[in-house]
Amino acid sequence: MSSPPILAGRLRRLCACSIDAIVVPGLTLMLVMVTGVVEDAADYATNAWILWVLLLAVVSYLIVNGFWLYRSGQTLGKKLLGIAIVSNPTSGTSPSVAPFWRLICIRALFFPVLFVVFVPTFMILPLLDQLLIFTKKRRCLHDLAAGTMVIRNNPYQEQGE
Amino acid sequence: MTRILLIALCMQASLVVADCTATHSAPHFNTVYSQAWGLDLRNTRYQEHSVLTASNVDRLQLKWVYGLNTTTPRSYPLVTQDTIFIGDAAHGVVALDRETGCERWTYPHDGYISSAILHAKIASRDILIFNDRVRGVYAIDAKTGEFIWHAQLEEEPLPWYSATPLIHNNRVYVPLASQEVGLAINPLYGCCTTSGGIAAFDLATGQQLWHFRTIREPAVATGAHWFFVQEYGPSGAPVWGSPSFDPAHHLLYFGTGQNYSHPTTDTSDALFAIDGTTGEPVWKRQFTSNDAYTAACNLMALNHPNCPKPTGPDVDFGAPTMLVDTHSGQRLLIGGQKSGEVHAVNPMTGDLVWTQRIGRGGILGGVHWGLAANEKLGLLFAPISDKAVLDFPSPGDPAPGLYAMDIETGKQRWHYARLSRCKESVCAYGLSAAPIATNDIVVTGSMDGYLEILNAKDGQRLWVYDAWQDFQAVNDKPTSGGAFGSHGPMVADDLLIVTAGYGYVGAQRGGNALLVFQLRDRHE
Repeated sequence: MSSPPILAGRLRRLCACSIDAIVVPGLTLMLVMVTGVVEDAADYATNAWILWVLLLAVVSYLIVNGFWLYRSGQTLGKKLLGIAIVSNPTSGTSPSVAPFWRLICIRALFFPVLFVVFVPTFMILPLLDQLLIFTKKRRCLHDLAAGTMVIRNNPYQEQGE
Repeated sequence: MTRILLIALCMQASLVVADCTATHSAPHFNTVYSQAWGLDLRNTRYQEHSVLTASNVDRLQLKWVYGLNTTTPRSYPLVTQDTIFIGDAAHGVVALDRETGCERWTYPHDGYISSAILHAKIASRDILIFNDRVRGVYAIDAKTGEFIWHAQLEEEPLPWYSATPLIHNNRVYVPLASQEVGLAINPLYGCCTTSGGIAAFDLATGQQLWHFRTIREPAVATGAHWFFVQEYGPSGAPVWGSPSFDPAHHLLYFGTGQNYSHPTTDTSDALFAIDGTTGEPVWKRQFTSNDAYTAACNLMALNHPNCPKPTGPDVDFGAPTMLVDTHSGQRLLIGGQKSGEVHAVNPMTGDLVWTQRIGRGGILGGVHWGLAANEKLGLLFAPISDKAVLDFPSPGDPAPGLYAMDIETGKQRWHYARLSRCKESVCAYGLSAAPIATNDIVVTGSMDGYLEILNAKDGQRLWVYDAWQDFQAVNDKPTSGGAFGSHGPMVADDLLIVTAGYGYVGAQRGGNALLVFQLRDRHE
């Protein structure tokens, strides 16, 4: 019987999340500036510029995190902090590889919610998501939705390297 | 003062709420109390058809209140013998029974109606014209609220239809500002390329006839910031106010705002006369040169790249121009500026006749929404805001209040100084809204929520109403008053009509009340 995974510490997760929350929007901002999608008056005649910015945000997320998420279940922040996302193991099994599609199509969808914290009306959303970190298994709403958990020791590294 | 307020509060208590379940009949248009934003084509803001005088305004009492859908109402009512029409943001244009406040009809419209409601006729059909601030100009049937046409300018990507159009001889003249002044706050925006102007549309069809740009030369690239974000100029010189019109010479008059970027032009902060038939300029006169400013400059501490440098004082002609006749038979074009100055020029040549400084001015100082005149008394009424903002340096002390000036010379006849009911940081207390004059009175609304009637001859306050309160509205909507701003009060017959609440500019209390006052019968 394998030993239970060591859950990632709350401070580490907060630091990793903070890194992602700075790097991804930073790259998005850079791409928006370089592509000029919000630079001309005509861009604002319709709401198409919003879609362009969202698209560039997705591209930025994939550029920053895509490779490591696919390889080891890690965003850039998690990679730097030595933690990783794994599938929530059932009783007695080891943590397993979280499918890439679940990390992108379900878990990553909660990433923009982090920024809603600045909009008082919708503040409840990120709070709901994040407050679950204080449960025993430290699984936030996005972990529950994607069937994942975040652990300290990285099984992918052990398997692959 | 206390006694006056008590009287006003007692009057509020006597408000009767109507039963609006009855069948609503169509409005009638035998008598229409205004033909333009400034009531007449000259924008004098003088109501000929009112019985309110200095001797009877103490009998004004609240008749009914309608709850609007916005706390920044920016529409000016049209009054007929039986109906009050007003634009209600995100709700539409409503035709309200003048007696009860009950809705006769509603034209649903989910945009932001930003102008006075105007009446016109296409053949024998009564129509209403109004602006949506972003979407353009609309024509609807005045009796039913049925949609007729919608038009917008195609040549400019981001026009702001802030000011009320003017209708004459089957044409609709639409003033044009630009959203760029606010978009510039985005540092990734390539500021700025658009120009203010006036466009003429056919009254019957909405077809565009001509478009006059206040900046004729196209904007070109002038530099870049952050390596990638291109900067452009010249730009700006928007038209924020409704034009005045001289039918005899077929001339349109209007003022412009500042430039948005460098290089600046000689058409910003200027008065214009253009030919109403062709849209060709006749003359222009600039009063403040090198005034370049955007909303990005409000973030001074950030050294915002879209704040043009050198930065101008932002002293637009926001108020509509006015044509007045003096006792000596001279006709003058009057322009009130945010600089705190009022100017009079010869309307045929643009030559300066007089200039008077009555306020310290500033980006939210000076004259905002408009002036009023009483030609019989030879008086011009200029409201001064002089609102301090953002620690911008302003010359001298603020002097908010109403100034009566001799139309002929510009000399001050009297000054009604407004005093704050609260600290400047909490609420502004000057006059931003346009006043209205009738008989021997002038009516103003202040940014701290007082509706006041002054004796036009000496500036003595005759009546005051505190609109910072909750109301029982005829349409059962939670309703409260707030700052008086934008187009200001309207008077017609024995009525005083005003929207209370304008939270558009910071530190002003929003509100959604359309208040209708009426003279009590002498024997009541």
